Order: sequence, then C-alpha cells, then structure tokens
Amino acid sequence: MSPRPVIIGCSALPVSRYQTPNDAETHVLEHELLARLVIDAMADSGAERSRVGAIVVAQPRPYTRQQYFSTFMTSYLRIPCDGIVMEVLGNGLTGALAFDKALDEVALGRAEVALALGINMETATSARDHMMESMRKTGDVDFHAPAGFTPISWYALDMQRYMFEHGVSRAQVAAVAVKNRAHAMHNPLAQFRKPITLDEVLAQRPIVEPLGLYEVPPRGDGAACVVIASEDYARRQGLPHVIVRSRAFHHEGVHQIGDVPADMIAFAAAAKAAKAGFEAAGLGPEAVDLAELYAPCTIVEVLASEAAGFVPKGQGAHAAVSGMTSLGGKIPLSTSGGLTSRGHPSYATPLYSVVELFDQLRGRAGARQVERARIGFLMNELGNYNAALVHVLEAAT
Amino acid sequence: MTMPLVELPHARRYPPRVTDFTRSFWEALAEGRFLVTRCEACARHSFPPKPICPHCWTDAIVWEEQTTEGHIYSWTRVHAGPAIFEADLPYAIGIVDLDCGVRLACPLVGDALWACGMSVELVRIRYTDGPFFGAQAKKVSHN
Repeated sequence: MSPRPVIIGCSALPVSRYQTPNDAETHVLEHELLARLVIDAMADSGAERSRVGAIVVAQPRPYTRQQYFSTFMTSYLRIPCDGIVMEVLGNGLTGALAFDKALDEVALGRAEVALALGINMETATSARDHMMESMRKTGDVDFHAPAGFTPISWYALDMQRYMFEHGVSRAQVAAVAVKNRAHAMHNPLAQFRKPITLDEVLAQRPIVEPLGLYEVPPRGDGAACVVIASEDYARRQGLPHVIVRSRAFHHEGVHQIGDVPADMIAFAAAAKAAKAGFEAAGLGPEAVDLAELYAPCTIVEVLASEAAGFVPKGQGAHAAVSGMTSLGGKIPLSTSGGLTSRGHPSYATPLYSVVELFDQLRGRAGARQVERARIGFLMNELGNYNAALVHVLEAAT
Repeated sequence: MTMPLVELPHARRYPPRVTDFTRSFWEALAEGRFLVTRCEACARHSFPPKPICPHCWTDAIVWEEQTTEGHIYSWTRVHAGPAIFEADLPYAIGIVDLDCGVRLACPLVGDALWACGMSVELVRIRYTDGPFFGAQAKKVSHN
C-alpha cells in the first residue's frame, strides 16, 4: 500500500502589503520572508530537516522579482532533495497544485517529508497595470481580451445571471462579505479585520457591476508553507497531524465560455470534483464540519457552496443571510475570512486555506474555532476557467 | 444580411492578431458578415473560429455565415479595467446566445438598460485600425 500523506505543520504571514516600490531605499525581500516561514513551519511540525525530500513552490506572479524560486529556496536553506524540487503554475489553483504535488511526492514514496510553499508580492504594482497582464488570462486573447474582459468580470457575469435566475438581490449575495469579515476579525492572518455592515458593502464604488469593492478580492502580499509527511513517519515520531482523506479533480474541457449555451452558474466542474471527493472519502456534505472555498468574489462562495452540495441550488445567498454558513452555523464556510477579508495573495492563496483547515482540525483556531471540528473540506476551483481540485481533510484521532 | 455598422473614432485598444486562417473571419466582419467555423465531419459549430474541429479533431472546416440575432445570457459593466481601456470606462460587456445556437462574449454597444434575456443583434464596429464585433439592443423593426 502506498504511504498516506498527512499534514504536520504550517506557517503563514499575515496577508498585507509588503512589497516595496522599485525606488525604495530599503526593500522587503521575498526570500527573506519565505525562508523564515519555512523554518517556522518545520518547527511547528516537529519533523527532522534531513527527512525533507521534496519542495514544491507555487510560482509567484512576475512582480515577485526573484525567479526560479524552487531551486533558489532549496539553495537558500540548503535542503538537498531526492524527490522533486519544482515550481507549479495553474491559474488560481497554483497554491493548491503545490499542496497536491507535495502530497503526491509522499504518496509515491519519494519523500518522507515534503514542503508546499508559496509567496506572492504584487502590491507595488497598480491595479490598472496589473490588469494589463491579467486581461490576457481571460478567455481567448484575440477574441475576448480586445473587448476588455478581466478575470473578475466573469464573476460579475455569473452574479448577474444568478440574480436573474433565482430572483436574489445583490444585498443577499453581499451578506457573504459581511459574514466573512466577521470571521476574519478572529484571524490574525487576515488582511481586513474591522467589522463591516451590509450598508457599507453596498455603498462601495462599483468595480464590475453589480459587484463593488468589498465584493471582489483585495490585492495583497503573503506567503505560506505547509509541511506534509507520510502518516507512518508522523506516527513514528509522535507528531500531531491532519489526514488527507481524499482528493478529486475535474475539468470539463471548457475555458470560461463554450461555443454553445451551457449553464455557466452550475459550476459543473466543482460539482463533479466535490462529488468524487466525497465518494472517495466515503462521506457526504452533511458530514463536513467546515469548508474553505476558493472564492475571489462573494458570488463565487455562493455558487461553489451550491455546487459542492452544502446548500440547495439558489439558496447559497440565503444561507449567508440566515447564518447557516457562519461560524456556529450548520456549515461554516470560509472561517478564515475568505478571499475578500482574509485576503488573496494570488497564487499563494490556496495554501492559506490549507493553513486554516489544519489549524481548525488541530483545534488551535482560537476565537474562530469550529467546535469539535473533525472533517474539513477544501475546494479550490476556478469558476468559469473550469477546473476544480478537492481535498477532504480529517483530524487524526 | 449585413450587420449594422458602428463607427468609433479611435484604434482598437488591444487589436486581435490575424492568422492565415482567421483572416477570412476578420475580412468578412469588415464587410458586415459574421462567420463561424463548422465541421463537415460532425456538423458542429465552433467559435472563436478554429482550423480544427475541437470535437472530432478533423480539419474539414468550412466557414458559415450566421444570423446575428440573439439574446443576452449575462452582462456586466466594467468600472475598473486595464490601463489601455481607461478612456472607455465604464464599458459594458456580455455573453450573447445567438439564435443559431452559438454562444460568444463581446462588447455591448450603446446605452441600453442591459438585462439578462434581452434581445440583441451583433454589430460590426469599425475602429480606425480595423474591425471588431459587438452587440447592441435590437432595434424595433417598422417594416
């Protein structure tokens, strides 16, 4: 039987603005931040440094000046590896792919301990300049980019359609932002922790109608490191851990928009991956104690929660309004504060979701602890980019 | 049927690249005809136009002129956009389902009160440097 991977430790920087402009007299360096995190995460895990056999790095956006980060960090921290040293990239899934690949290295027996890490530094680049790059990451660069589509404009299209089909108001969907801010208040890693009201959310300037500033992801810098080991190693060393009970993936073979009409807001890839992940884990959505969903905009949490089966179709926004998806509710979603409040340091973001579930399932999430949390659901999905990666996590007894 | 013409007094903000294959599409568009690719083997359409059929992978592709009427599947108005689109802000974009069964995404032209389900027609937009396509609210016919 192949080794079963477990999570044994982690560390993350509070999401914030760290990047210094090019002309700064004193700079903040990405590798100085990340090296310290790796050491913190290893200390958190209790694993021996000599057992690390694989390092998988979420490729940073181009604004992070140091490049070829995997071999660079391996050298910076002097970690020889027999498994793999590499960077991964895959749209918003990037951090989740680093986690997934690190799990694989352990499951394949190539490494007893593996690191998944990532850093994102981008806040010294303005949003309008950043979008010059991100506009090329939507649809077809010769048939969609000339029209001015941006990544979050696709979520706005989802939102308009959702409101139209289900008779739901912007305010009802915006309840997700208020709920997630209330979660973020208790998360020391969150970028925004001051409570907000629904009126404040609705009063923000429009970004992509009907979504305003607080309904779309803020820009932020951050870094996270997750330590993975074989279950056997964790047990032998007596290390507390969280089990990766199942993993599933799906892509429908459609990039944002097909050439025939389809139900864009069904998030079919997410639905399929979630179902497969539950089947492989031998449990259903009702057994989940909390979920971290990759949801850059409020509407994405709504659609992803419906696709995963936590909430019936058309009920996702109502679930946020009623408190069903709040801490203390039936199925708390985004206890970290989610992408709108915990923050969205781009390619590193999914690693923060792993950190949140690890802390929750270890019972060390402080004031935002979900009581008796045993099963955590991690879904990183790309909306209309159409790929979904699911991991079902379980507290070790 | 020739597509209605909309003229804009500036160059395209982000001009598409033209290939030997897609030149047929852009030249027809400039004349007001909207072409999509259709596979002769499996009869399915594809858009944006492709030199191979994504469904059956043959290259038995023909160009087919389409009716340009349809309705809005969804839409948004962009208030924060890339630097090169700054002069256009805010601008509307949408997903249009054509009556012929093709779905596409394009700029929405004019000041209509955009809504899901609204009837639209494709237009050719003549910029100073070349064409692009968009959709406008369908004009009520008085014939």
